[in-house]
Amino acid sequence: MSGGDVKDPVTVVIDFLLAKRPDFEEIPRDLDLIENRVLDSLGFVNFLYLLEELTGREIPMVDVAPEDFRTIDAIEARFLR
Amino acid sequence: MTDLLSSSDRLVTILDRLVGMSKSDYYNPYEVFDWPESLPEHQYWMSPELMSTYGTEAAGELSEAQLWAISKWESINFYSLNVHGIRELIVEIIQRIHTDEFRASSEYFHHMIGEENEHMWFFATFCLKYGDKIYPNTAFQLDIESAGPAAHFLVFARLLLFEEIVDHFNSRMGTDDRLHETIKQVNHIHHQDESRHVAFGRQIVSVLHADLRARLSVAELADLETYLKRYLRRSVESLVSPAVFRDAGIPDPYALRRRILADPAHGEYQAKILKRSMRFLLNEGILTDDVLPGPA
Repeated sequence: MSGGDVKDPVTVVIDFLLAKRPDFEEIPRDLDLIENRVLDSLGFVNFLYLLEELTGREIPMVDVAPEDFRTIDAIEARFLR
Repeated sequence: MTDLLSSSDRLVTILDRLVGMSKSDYYNPYEVFDWPESLPEHQYWMSPELMSTYGTEAAGELSEAQLWAISKWESINFYSLNVHGIRELIVEIIQRIHTDEFRASSEYFHHMIGEENEHMWFFATFCLKYGDKIYPNTAFQLDIESAGPAAHFLVFARLLLFEEIVDHFNSRMGTDDRLHETIKQVNHIHHQDESRHVAFGRQIVSVLHADLRARLSVAELADLETYLKRYLRRSVESLVSPAVFRDAGIPDPYALRRRILADPAHGEYQAKILKRSMRFLLNEGILTDDVLPGPA
């Protein structure tokens, strides 16, 4: 997020999650992020802020459900298109 | 653990004492506070040392007017976090009151629920009266539901650590003469009540963890330790909010949050807030070291 190369938002999201889980070599777009604990409750708020920054808008918590964060595909469809 | 709490003489004695104190210290929160129409904007609403910006390089680039604005909205965020934390606390206690497992503590739970309801009221009143909002809860349940053997322990550990973090702020702001009298009063009164809740929390967390040590594997205990450390880290990070910085008129609130979290001063800020809790968790053998993980 800080200067340099301009990455597409999905790549930024994947890079963020890989940094949290260095034991993963890659994160397939259909990987269940919740089942595999790539995303969990304690790490959620920092991920939320990343999405807000990428989309340029606040994401009201009342408007989201766990399914919106299940996979990279779901995150892209819900927030990044 | 039907008789686990009753079997701890020390816990039963403390519960009796705390019930007595709750009765003798009872006050009517709906009449005790002075709520002026507004609070002065051109001064600090939090002790400057308790602001997330304190000692950071970024703070050196902010004007005093910007710091005043941040202190206002950061205090509204702090009280909002209290509102949401108390909601979780009340829900969890209600789930347990007058069940067999919590027979010994149910009388005390009645006082705790009543007191927490009142705390939630005065924190919410402050937010709505002086900030015209309660910041939304950013906690989100993403984990697979688990009702494992550590469920009670994790609930009471989270509640205790939440209360201890809050009390770090209340105990200082309640006596800080740089702050408006209403701000001092809210913090002072909460500090007085929470000293009872913290005393109970420490006892029950100690009893529940001793029980788990006898029943869980080393690896399972290590998982609990990792969870609690991440919880502590996340709790302090939640005090650093882009919504606060946005309301304070900071042009790039996310960048400021990143700078603060990466600043060495934030490590000192975190260590001060968690000092008392870390000492307790280490003394009880709940944590084996005081090294917290990276950002949550």
